[in-house]
Amino acid sequence: MQTAWGWLPAIYLFLGGMGAGALMVAATFEFYGKRYQYDFCPTALVGATVSGPLVILGTILLIFDLGAGLREPWRILYMFTHFSSVMTWGVWLLTLFIPVSMVYGFLEYLDSFPAAREWLRARQWLGWTKFLWILPLRRTKRVFAGIGVVLAVGVAIYTGILLSAVGPAIPFWSTRVLPFIPIPMMPVLFLVSALSTGLGLTVDLAATLAVGPMEQRVKSLPWIHMAFIGVETLLLGMLLITALVDGGSAAQSAREIIAGSHAVVFWVLIVIPGFIFPFVVHAYAAGLGRHSLVSGVGSGIGIVVAGLFLRYLILVSGIPAAL
Amino acid sequence: MDRSTLSRRRFLGLAAAGAAAALGLPLLRDIPSVAEGRPGARYALVIDTTRCTGCGACIEACRLRNHLPEGVSYIRRIVKGNSRNPWFLMIQCQHCANPPCATVCPTNATYRREDGVVLIDERLCVGCRYCMQACPYQARVFDEERGVADKCWLCLPWVLGGGLPACVEACIPGARFFGRADDPSSGVAQLIASGRAKPLHPEFGTEPSILSYIIEEE
Repeated sequence: MQTAWGWLPAIYLFLGGMGAGALMVAATFEFYGKRYQYDFCPTALVGATVSGPLVILGTILLIFDLGAGLREPWRILYMFTHFSSVMTWGVWLLTLFIPVSMVYGFLEYLDSFPAAREWLRARQWLGWTKFLWILPLRRTKRVFAGIGVVLAVGVAIYTGILLSAVGPAIPFWSTRVLPFIPIPMMPVLFLVSALSTGLGLTVDLAATLAVGPMEQRVKSLPWIHMAFIGVETLLLGMLLITALVDGGSAAQSAREIIAGSHAVVFWVLIVIPGFIFPFVVHAYAAGLGRHSLVSGVGSGIGIVVAGLFLRYLILVSGIPAAL
Repeated sequence: MDRSTLSRRRFLGLAAAGAAAALGLPLLRDIPSVAEGRPGARYALVIDTTRCTGCGACIEACRLRNHLPEGVSYIRRIVKGNSRNPWFLMIQCQHCANPPCATVCPTNATYRREDGVVLIDERLCVGCRYCMQACPYQARVFDEERGVADKCWLCLPWVLGGGLPACVEACIPGARFFGRADDPSSGVAQLIASGRAKPLHPEFGTEPSILSYIIEEE
């Protein structure tokens, strides 16, 4: 078992993924017009405003995890310089994603609350920003949402490539999609998981709390959710099977996950709350068209918690290649 | 000259200074603390596992010379074989020609010298531990006190001064051979040429360039 990366990296990989996923969901609602079906769209609002702070929190944790970065903070600047390193790509992506998502969140906030817009406009000391008010709010917001989505996909994928790039050192992390397809699984799995946790946070959790079950607004949501859970189950299954087929320490990692020292985390903290429970809830909602507050909030929390433990599980089950 | 041009000039000046500083950062490493001395040298360290008794003298000697805390060393012992017939694999930095630690390092702190020695410039290291994950030999340790990655540096100042790495000096059964691979008459060059000393796990694709091992086929 690798010991260099523990809980802290798991949390910031998770926060980066969920923040990116939340922005992707908000931008999807924006571009497909769902955002404007009702006066107030909690999914777009929460997705846009929360993504920046989540990724900022993750980045702060990342900096806290650096051994020398806290003592001599200028060394963090060196992290922008070495482009063969996936971590350098990540630092650039985070640096670009944070301001774009913060602006997008701010514009979405202004769009959602006209009173806040008026309040801001009436401030004397903001007089110098007058030239900005001639910009069309929604079109400007869309520009930032568009750039944000591209960066969000980058951030979500980067958290996976970071692991798969270690290559033969930790074979489980560089497991391919299928034994004969030379694409690493982690970026794919982390992208889908980012979207899934983003959906869980903005649709199941936030929107259910704000305006009641979202399924009343968007009829296809239970199906989308079930599709996501299905794809994620498929990817996890492919990961474990490919790792078992690969043999060696990758297979050992897979065995520890399925029935070894990490089995409790996998089955009790990931599969049940993040897969089985939300799937049943959404299947029920799709079949009967009913969706209660408790099941919406419950599946939201379950998906988010499972997303966090998935990152943790992948990190702790990384076993270095045998020498 | 009005105020706006002054401030613009000042701004441009600051920007240029910033850019120069940013470009200068990676050059810091070009002030190595060890003297460049032996042009064309390529070093080799051969470990004969058929002689190694696993006593750990190399581990301790390495720890003492590099002032590492109790229990920390650049060398790690792996017990192989079975309980009745064990043998020992001493792992330290293999000084790869294609070092994954240097590829993944976000700050360019790890670099490879022309003589094949892979070093860490600890003034650039930010302590992210990515290199520790990427090294398939798990040859790196973390310096908790300074918050940077650390590993075998082949006792380079001693070697450049004509001496030996601490592990080679300390080896009791004489299982470690050190010398110059570019000198065909040296013992290590002959061991490598004879094919007895081979790099460990070439399938990792990292092309270990200094360490090689004599391992009896099981």
